[in-house]
Amino acid sequence: MRIFFVVMMCLALQLSCISVRPALTAVGCDLNNPDRDVPRLFPESTSYKTIYVSIAQRGGPPLQRRIENRLGGRMYLALYAPLDVPYTLYEIYRDKKKVGYIHGVNQKGQFGGIQVFVAQDLTGRIKTFYIQKITGKSAGKFRDAAFARKFVGLSLKDFESYDPASGKGTGKIAEIANPAPDMVTDFYGVLRGLKKNLVLMDEFVFSVERGKP
Amino acid sequence: MITPFQVAYKNLLRKKVRTLLTLVGITLSTWVLVSLFGFNRGYEKALNRDIENMGYQLMVMAKGCPYEAATMMLQGGTGLRYMDQSMVNDIIKEAEVDKITPILMQAFFDPNKGESGGIAGYFGVDPATYPAMKPFFRFRSGGWFHDNSAPEVVMGYEAAELEQREVGDMTLVPEKNVQLKVVGILERTGTQDDGTIFVPLKTLQRIAGIDKITTIGIKVKKDADITKLENKLYQLKDVQVVSFSQVKQTIMKLISTARVMVLSIAIVAILIAMAGVVNTVLMSVLERLQEIGILKTMGAMPGDIFRLVWTETLILCSIGGIAGIGFAFLFARATDLLMRRILPYAPSGGLVAIDGKLALLTLGSIITTGLLSGLYPAWKAGRVRPLESIRRDG
Repeated sequence: MRIFFVVMMCLALQLSCISVRPALTAVGCDLNNPDRDVPRLFPESTSYKTIYVSIAQRGGPPLQRRIENRLGGRMYLALYAPLDVPYTLYEIYRDKKKVGYIHGVNQKGQFGGIQVFVAQDLTGRIKTFYIQKITGKSAGKFRDAAFARKFVGLSLKDFESYDPASGKGTGKIAEIANPAPDMVTDFYGVLRGLKKNLVLMDEFVFSVERGKP
Repeated sequence: MITPFQVAYKNLLRKKVRTLLTLVGITLSTWVLVSLFGFNRGYEKALNRDIENMGYQLMVMAKGCPYEAATMMLQGGTGLRYMDQSMVNDIIKEAEVDKITPILMQAFFDPNKGESGGIAGYFGVDPATYPAMKPFFRFRSGGWFHDNSAPEVVMGYEAAELEQREVGDMTLVPEKNVQLKVVGILERTGTQDDGTIFVPLKTLQRIAGIDKITTIGIKVKKDADITKLENKLYQLKDVQVVSFSQVKQTIMKLISTARVMVLSIAIVAILIAMAGVVNTVLMSVLERLQEIGILKTMGAMPGDIFRLVWTETLILCSIGGIAGIGFAFLFARATDLLMRRILPYAPSGGLVAIDGKLALLTLGSIITTGLLSGLYPAWKAGRVRPLESIRRDG
């Protein structure tokens, strides 16, 4: 009898959690066609799992402040409802073994939003870099495979010596040349988006995994 | 002094599991019934609200033109049919017309969207007439365009969020490489306007290189005969008329079949729950024949026994009914989400509208049905012969 009551209460609580979910959520950043894009970005994958995480869910305002501090600028996180943005995280599997992640973010560009996606292995190293959306006359140069290859092998550590907010620093990131000199704002937008992507992944996934016994 | 209500309550507590299961049955069927009634009212309300939020009740388009912008997006704007803007002057003369606004929908190919390019849609509107169609629009920041040919845009909330735009930022029309300044960002409306980018009509005509329009939105005067106006509009050359009242009727017809089916299931669920009530109360009567016999030998009249047993039914139905209504209120959002997944078309806003009046009405129906179901066990208990029952059970 008591077990039945407890089960019913758990069910009721779960249902009420669904009930209070807001009807209108903030705009996240999803792959346009995950079934096609995931194998392209992560060729050895056989399946993937989609997970939605938000700052509100993972730590609320203190986490938001920490991320903003790591990014070095409040405006780089999100222009609208930073706490509620549903970040889409694709967990990548080869057979039953998890082999990496794909994650994307929206970043402000000169004429529109830039959507920066990275495929990372389990250590956080970039395997594939992909700009899903960018607006501008020379935007195609940022989506070129040669530009994307320059980011392969980089990780969050590479941003320790380079600040995309000011565009100053040294190291591998500083060596990456702007492929479209007429779109300087977007070039730095791409780098900021990449750093934001890596910081968010570190907060949502890698720091949690590092904390595991 | 112990009241008949307390006696009935204690009787129900004797077989806790049986009572609980009966209550669960009544609760679930009440929950389904209230949610369904709520959906019945909520869906129509939401649909009306969506139509009201369109701002106009009639749309006139060039014959063969796709109804929805989605079709236009899929075809990259190539499937669009245009009509002369002078048509607006013809239509505004009609007595039934309250307000009228010309619209131009355009789509441009953006090669840097997605893996192989995508479409960017724009909605050209006349700043002199369009805002009056949408009086519920509120600006999060900025305002409408400065004039009908200004190089400016107003963005719906979600469009601004996706494009990461703020008032003062620039946007670029792909394919044409024309820069436009963001002058206004709307608050969320919960409609398709949230994802729309509005451009002054003349600006969009200039960018697209055409002097025509794709749509005319018409707001009809209050109490005017919409059908009469529709018939008049059909007389215009090469146009088709989309009436939102027709759209509403079609959607409601689609939904009504599903509604009847689910309502039938709810009625069957209630009948099963009531059979459970009869079973529970009847079992309780049969198990207590000796007690009832003793009560009668002590002077209880058949009416007293009837009332006592009927009270048990009343308690069961009231508790189950109230719990069911409580669940319906508590999980209205979850029901809403479920309905949205099932239905082919769901308007924005709440689909399930439950209020106190509806809750009371359902509770009344459940209790009445329950009391009717409890008549037989109560009557049987009232007819128990004292000596026979004492002898049989002894």
